[in-house]
Amino acid sequence: MKIKNIGIIFVIVTILLLIPFTKVNAASDGYLQKVKDKGTLVVGTSADYPPYEFTVKQSGKTEYVGLDIEIAKQFAKDLGVKLEIKNMNFDSLLVALETHKVDAVISGMNPTPERQKSVDFSNIYYRGKQYMLIEKKDKSLYKNIHSFKNKTIGAQTGSLQYDLVKNQMKNNQVKGLAKLNDLVIALQSGKVNAVAMEEATAKAFAKNNSSLEVINPNFNVDSSQTGSAIAFPKGAKSLVKVADKTIKKIQQKDLINKEYIPLAGKYMTNNSKQNSMWNYWSYFAKGIEYTLIITVVSVFFGFLLGVLLALLRLSKGKFQRAIAITYIEFIRGTPLMVQVMFVYFGIGALVQSLPALLAGIIAVSLNSAAYVAEVIRSGIESIPKGQTEAARSLGMSQTITYRYVIIPQALKNIWPALGNEFITLIKESSIVSIIGVGDLMYQMQLVQSATYKGVFPIFITMVIYFVMTFGLSKILGYFEGRMKHA
Amino acid sequence: MPNLIEIKNLEKSFGKNQVLKNINEVVEKGQVICVIGPSGSGKSTFLRCLNVLEKPTKGQVIFENQDLTNISETALNKLRERMGMVFQSFNLFPNMNVLNNIKLAPLKVKMISEIETTKKAHELLEQVGLADKAEQFPANLSGGQQQRVAIARALAMNPEVMLFDEPTSALDPEMVGEVLKVMKDLAESGMTMIVVTHEMGFAKEVANQVWFMDEGFIQEKGSPNEFFVNPKTKRAKEFLSKVL
Repeated sequence: MKIKNIGIIFVIVTILLLIPFTKVNAASDGYLQKVKDKGTLVVGTSADYPPYEFTVKQSGKTEYVGLDIEIAKQFAKDLGVKLEIKNMNFDSLLVALETHKVDAVISGMNPTPERQKSVDFSNIYYRGKQYMLIEKKDKSLYKNIHSFKNKTIGAQTGSLQYDLVKNQMKNNQVKGLAKLNDLVIALQSGKVNAVAMEEATAKAFAKNNSSLEVINPNFNVDSSQTGSAIAFPKGAKSLVKVADKTIKKIQQKDLINKEYIPLAGKYMTNNSKQNSMWNYWSYFAKGIEYTLIITVVSVFFGFLLGVLLALLRLSKGKFQRAIAITYIEFIRGTPLMVQVMFVYFGIGALVQSLPALLAGIIAVSLNSAAYVAEVIRSGIESIPKGQTEAARSLGMSQTITYRYVIIPQALKNIWPALGNEFITLIKESSIVSIIGVGDLMYQMQLVQSATYKGVFPIFITMVIYFVMTFGLSKILGYFEGRMKHA
Repeated sequence: MPNLIEIKNLEKSFGKNQVLKNINEVVEKGQVICVIGPSGSGKSTFLRCLNVLEKPTKGQVIFENQDLTNISETALNKLRERMGMVFQSFNLFPNMNVLNNIKLAPLKVKMISEIETTKKAHELLEQVGLADKAEQFPANLSGGQQQRVAIARALAMNPEVMLFDEPTSALDPEMVGEVLKVMKDLAESGMTMIVVTHEMGFAKEVANQVWFMDEGFIQEKGSPNEFFVNPKTKRAKEFLSKVL
């Protein structure tokens, strides 16, 4: 790359990076009105946290249940609007709130002082103790936090428990993972010695898995940190007010202990009764469907954009080349996972209604385009110069030359590399699960939550991915063979 | 005879290396000109400057009253239709059969109908003696056959002039004759031709004029008889003593 181009590239990158921050904050508090105008309350939650929130399969459909969901229902009812649940990683919940992807977060979230800096909380609606989930065989070893000396403790990243372990168990290593299910697998496979989690959740895991046990390690927690509250965007006082009323009503009738938790318990027992994988085939089917949709659509648009980028990259114009090179280098130099989050939360801050599936497809397409562009460029450059010269000497324009002479030959040369990109996409698309797109990876996590089985769903998912990629590889091989004959 | 191509003050440099030095020549309609000279003398570059595959650094190439070095891309494409070119390495399109190689430019550039181009392509294949190879792919043809298809492909655009850039240099010796035969027939039909070649026999027999090129300019020109029997310059004498 020439030095001169670096200046242009720098400017372009800077502009790209600034786009998401150009939005000014919404007016002081039109939040309540906005929800009423929409007619729906969008609640974010991380549905792997029974009995607070988890999924069950009912007549073939996935439903979100748990005590938080019941509260959300009541809240929506009091607002006089419909309820929509958005499931995502616990880590992503507050970002989703700040970027207005959701109106409220009800996810067993503790109103810690740190969190209060960035969001507003309702009153506390439920208080649970902080427990440790351990293996039954270790029961005699652990009594309280001090008996865990030099052990590795697992906790959900971004959670209160994670901070508790970090601050109060200084001699211990903390292993943070995004999903409780993964933490439980880690516990069962000896990667961690205990998992810190909220009382009700810990008991739920223990109840559904005979090799697990709970203890109360007596964390030193102040009362503001133990309770769960509903989170709202900073300044959404009008919504907080309604929420507080709802909570007061629920507490007066003691609905949580009398109705919500017993109901959640019933769902959990149902789940554990039918936790054979066969009952969840529809989850995997749905996951395959989404994964294929994302892959096929992304391959299509990634290819179109890739061709365009490759042509820009090969064009004579310095500016066009700089744009293409910047794009390609930037996309290849950043992880897909970050790109997916950037599109969903960053671009999504400008376009409020951007659905996660579309955001995922956009991110994967944009990513793929950069790789396809390089493949196509190498294909075009592999065609001998004499081909272009022969075509141009016959009076063909550059466009006709590319269209009929260069591209068809280049495509044949790069077919295996393109196929490889296609196969890679099937696998890479699994990253969109972090923003809650229902692809195969995401469905696997749902099945893990629903069945309390950790490894087996992973195995099934692995086999499904392999069948898909291997099948595709065979199909591509067939077409490659046919092109050779032509 | 009217002038077909006028070359004025033509110069070409690649970086600091000046390959062509102030060439001023005229090609008349119907002439067959053989450009000969040692390797690296600038013959191929000269030929490639005529249809601006290489853009001259200085000077003009005037063809049909237009300066090819200073016109729009579209106008240049138009004029290139009328200047056929045959390359040392044939450059057939390997992704198409012989028939489609010939048909592509008339179809897509001149927008002539499918039926008409097919008919014309078959006639041209007949002319170069390859009527039975229409459905073959280039990879299945010998070098000589490929070069004859390349000639047919260039002729399909009905050019005013044909440029040949060492058309037989990449061929096995036994294939050279069949290509030269086609070129000779073409010359006899009245086609204007500029041929960069090492085939002295062909130059002697077919050319009206021989241009001897060395060190970036045309050192000497004349009829084959004058040039081969009685070369005037020292460079030409040296060259001929080595090749004849």
